[in-house]
Amino acid sequence: MKREFICIICPKGCRISAEYEGTDIKNIIGDKCLKGKDYVKNEITNPLRIFTGSVLVENGDFPLVSVKTSSPIPKKYLKKIGEITRRIKVEAPIEIGQVVAKNLVSEDINLIATRKVNIINK
Amino acid sequence: MPEKEVIIIGGGAAGLAAAVACKQKGIEDILIIERGDYLGGILNQCIHDGFGLEKFHTSLSGPEYAQKYINQVMDKKIPFLLNSMVVNLTPQKEVIVVNNNGLQHYRAKVIILAMGCRERTRGAIGIPGARPAGIYTAGVAQELINLKDYMVGEKIVILGSGDIGLIMARRLTLEGAEVVLVAEKLPYSSGLPRNINQCLYDFDIPLLLSHTVVDIEGNGRLSGVTIAQLGKRGGIIPGSKRKIVCDTLLLSVGLIPENELSREAGIVLDPITGGPQVDERGQTGVPGIFACGNVLQVHDIVDNVSLEAEYIVEGVTEYLEGRLTREPEIKIELGEGLRYVVPQKLIYRKDTIFSFRVNQPGEKKILIFEDGKKAIKKKSFPRVNPAEMIRVKLSSAELEGIKILKVKLVSL
Amino acid sequence: MKAINNHYDVVIIGGGVVGSAIARELSKYKVNVAVLEKEDDVGWGISCRNSGVVHAGFNNKPGTLMARLCVEGNKSFKELCKQLDVPYKKIGKLVVAKKKEEIKGLQKLKQQGDTNSVDNLQIIDSYEVKKLEPNLVGMAALYSPETAITSPYLLTIALAENALNNGVSFFLNTEVKDVTRLNNSYFKITTNQGEFITSYVINSAGLYADFIARIAGIKKYRLYPCRGEYHILDKNASWLISHLIYPVPQAGAGGLGVHLTPTIDGNILVGPSNEYIRKKDDLSTTSQIMKMLSAEAREFLPLISSRDIIRSYSGIRAKQAPSSEGGYWDFVIQESATVNNFINLIGIESPGLTAVQPIAKRVVEIINKKERLDYNPSFNPFRKGILRFDEQEEETKPNLIKQDPDYGEIVCRCEKVTKKEILEAANNPLGARSLVSIKYRTRAMMGRCQGGYCQTRIMEILRESFKLSLQEITLKGKNSYLLTGYRSNKENKSCQKKKLLSLEEELLV
Repeated sequence: MKREFICIICPKGCRISAEYEGTDIKNIIGDKCLKGKDYVKNEITNPLRIFTGSVLVENGDFPLVSVKTSSPIPKKYLKKIGEITRRIKVEAPIEIGQVVAKNLVSEDINLIATRKVNIINK
Repeated sequence: MPEKEVIIIGGGAAGLAAAVACKQKGIEDILIIERGDYLGGILNQCIHDGFGLEKFHTSLSGPEYAQKYINQVMDKKIPFLLNSMVVNLTPQKEVIVVNNNGLQHYRAKVIILAMGCRERTRGAIGIPGARPAGIYTAGVAQELINLKDYMVGEKIVILGSGDIGLIMARRLTLEGAEVVLVAEKLPYSSGLPRNINQCLYDFDIPLLLSHTVVDIEGNGRLSGVTIAQLGKRGGIIPGSKRKIVCDTLLLSVGLIPENELSREAGIVLDPITGGPQVDERGQTGVPGIFACGNVLQVHDIVDNVSLEAEYIVEGVTEYLEGRLTREPEIKIELGEGLRYVVPQKLIYRKDTIFSFRVNQPGEKKILIFEDGKKAIKKKSFPRVNPAEMIRVKLSSAELEGIKILKVKLVSL
Repeated sequence: MKAINNHYDVVIIGGGVVGSAIARELSKYKVNVAVLEKEDDVGWGISCRNSGVVHAGFNNKPGTLMARLCVEGNKSFKELCKQLDVPYKKIGKLVVAKKKEEIKGLQKLKQQGDTNSVDNLQIIDSYEVKKLEPNLVGMAALYSPETAITSPYLLTIALAENALNNGVSFFLNTEVKDVTRLNNSYFKITTNQGEFITSYVINSAGLYADFIARIAGIKKYRLYPCRGEYHILDKNASWLISHLIYPVPQAGAGGLGVHLTPTIDGNILVGPSNEYIRKKDDLSTTSQIMKMLSAEAREFLPLISSRDIIRSYSGIRAKQAPSSEGGYWDFVIQESATVNNFINLIGIESPGLTAVQPIAKRVVEIINKKERLDYNPSFNPFRKGILRFDEQEEETKPNLIKQDPDYGEIVCRCEKVTKKEILEAANNPLGARSLVSIKYRTRAMMGRCQGGYCQTRIMEILRESFKLSLQEITLKGKNSYLLTGYRSNKENKSCQKKKLLSLEEELLV
């Protein structure tokens, strides 16, 4: 299939076209630098994304803690991780950067908190 | 009534940055007045990342970005009120605040407006049809899911391809809802390309450009919408109407600076930006009342909000020290290609940062500042987009001695 | 509320402004009354959706009930509003002629008004029009200083609450399915919430009065739905006019023409249109009519822009006149000739709101003639509404907050409605529990941001006050759920701080 990508590496936003079948790249046109070409290649062969979402908190001054994966993960896992965030809970207090769940993919990637949640005295 | 030095109305991104900048400039007597339960404003519900790329050289989520400023407010012990609503602002810079402790009256030498903006509604854009439950502006849906853990619906159509709509398309999909499509009435999207990629393409959510919602059905709860394609002059193309079954319609159709207090204080607004007309120090038509952030002009990137707040605090400092010398006011003339410019007028000839939005997407454009026939400054852009604010700095040397100032955007 | 003791002297079918007024009027006597209302709250048919005008009475054909009851109602309306703590303002009306040919129409209206004993009508010239309304375009006008405005929804709620307070039972979400005669003395009314036995039935079912009559065996009435669409303008445009502005009415139209109404809350209404439609419950707004309303408004007020519109909505008139005829048939307020003790109110369209008290009195008279009703000595005509914090004097506000800190929390920013008012509205005596019920009682969500700031807060207050599940929070009752549930699965595995979940197994996609 053929698709036009908008490169997001730098603000130029070059339009790069690629022809590919699955992860097999036939050609790339319109790339103005190596980074752009690499971006499109990665998008086709192994697109990675940062997942952001939220997790329920127990005993916190906020009901939810926003979370993200500590580094980009394969795009195909995004929905699954979303589903997992609906099933877990964390206890307050929570600091920004605190690991909320770990080992989501084989390379030791974690869900970390992106919000400070203080403990509430009940 | 004791007089404070600076009162900041709004404790969101703009208010926090302004407060911290004021303290750094040596202003001690500051008060932030925030109507919500917490500081940070809208950043609290923006749990996606992409914030702080310019300011902190890393990609942060909204709450993390806010916390950077909240930490400084706490460390610097800047006073703030929560759950406090400013209900009145006078041209004499008096405010009346309502909270559980009663009515409080304050007066300040400087007021910084940082109230942010509200969303354009279904009623304001006049979509005909029924008025069932299930129609939300994207920001409200975002608040419900990210701050309350509530799902608004299961089968969702989004009108408007601005960033909020795109972010919500992804958010709802990741949380198990079906986003049927995103319709955008313009022939181009108003969202950042990064968001079109990561919110729509990633999940195979169709983006229908030149489409809008022309009818809404539903008895009690929404049961469907009708979309149609628009022609070049904005009319519906006959035969293009299509019914889409859905239970939720999310609207991401524009933000409107929240200037009701500004109006009350007699501040003149710019009808295009929706925010106050300001000079290059961010000062409105009322001396001592400044504006920054979304209340001044709707921003796309929070880093620019912080930069703008820091920038106008320079003017606040100069005002407090009586150092703002006035020269004849120059009203900035908008030429072709541009939708608006902030500031709208020049009063001093100091280093000035101008913010613009262009009228249409385009490639290979030059921004030209002219003083009559003479070009003062030119800046070229390989690509421009109404969705991306442009900021350009002119030095006091470049502005010295000019009698008029016109700005235009032309093709190379 | 299920009918436990379900025997009544009078059952009123329809809890609109007319049904509620009749209920209140009856509660002045020792009568056991129930009101059956199919919606989640009172007034959600026609009563809450009209312009809220208290007409002077010159629009109605002399000799008709409409004319007589309108004039009577107009004269006693201020007192009624005072008793019920409902806002009322006599702002006056201008019927404006845009062309010379229309001046004759003004004269006809004045004549009609004079015949109907309407006070103080005058025809004024363009100079005087300009003095009264500097932004208006008009050649001449009929000026009616006796025309006033009120809040149609607050009036309906107030009438109902006062009736409730005086002993009337209200059954919301109660839809009448059948009416049969038990014997010569009693009716049996079958509803979705149980049966009611009653001696008298008052059919004030508004748009569906013909249907209720028919199921009781009275087949002679037919009501045609005639829809009126409106625009509501931002309060920032309110400076444009200070009187009601009407066009010269067209003969054979379904309504009085697209007019401009300064509402009692400070917005301007543009509308309504009049369009005979097929379905009685089709409250949609339409693109053609919305454009037409804006265009017609601009003919009077060139300064109006579509950017001033904050919302559009519609109401449906119950017209007896078919579309081929248009115009107005007189009110039908009478006991059925064929079904004893069954009183019909058919075709109560404009000036129904103005005439609501005389209409109610007339119905009670019908019963009184037959029954000789005894006065209820404990009848209390007064009712207090929800105190509007924003309307209080500045000096009293700090004390109010001291007494109740919930006055210090502003929930609806646009209309400055406090948490205390929202709580009072949520805990209203009728038991209505939807967002729209709170909206009508407080004005929350009626501002320019249309709930953008306050909707989530109000939903939270409703949920906490009544321990509702998420799906039970509704916009307007029945199927209008706002949320589908929690995002997360509530039965969650708890995460100890020390023990973190290992989820590798989960990711076998």
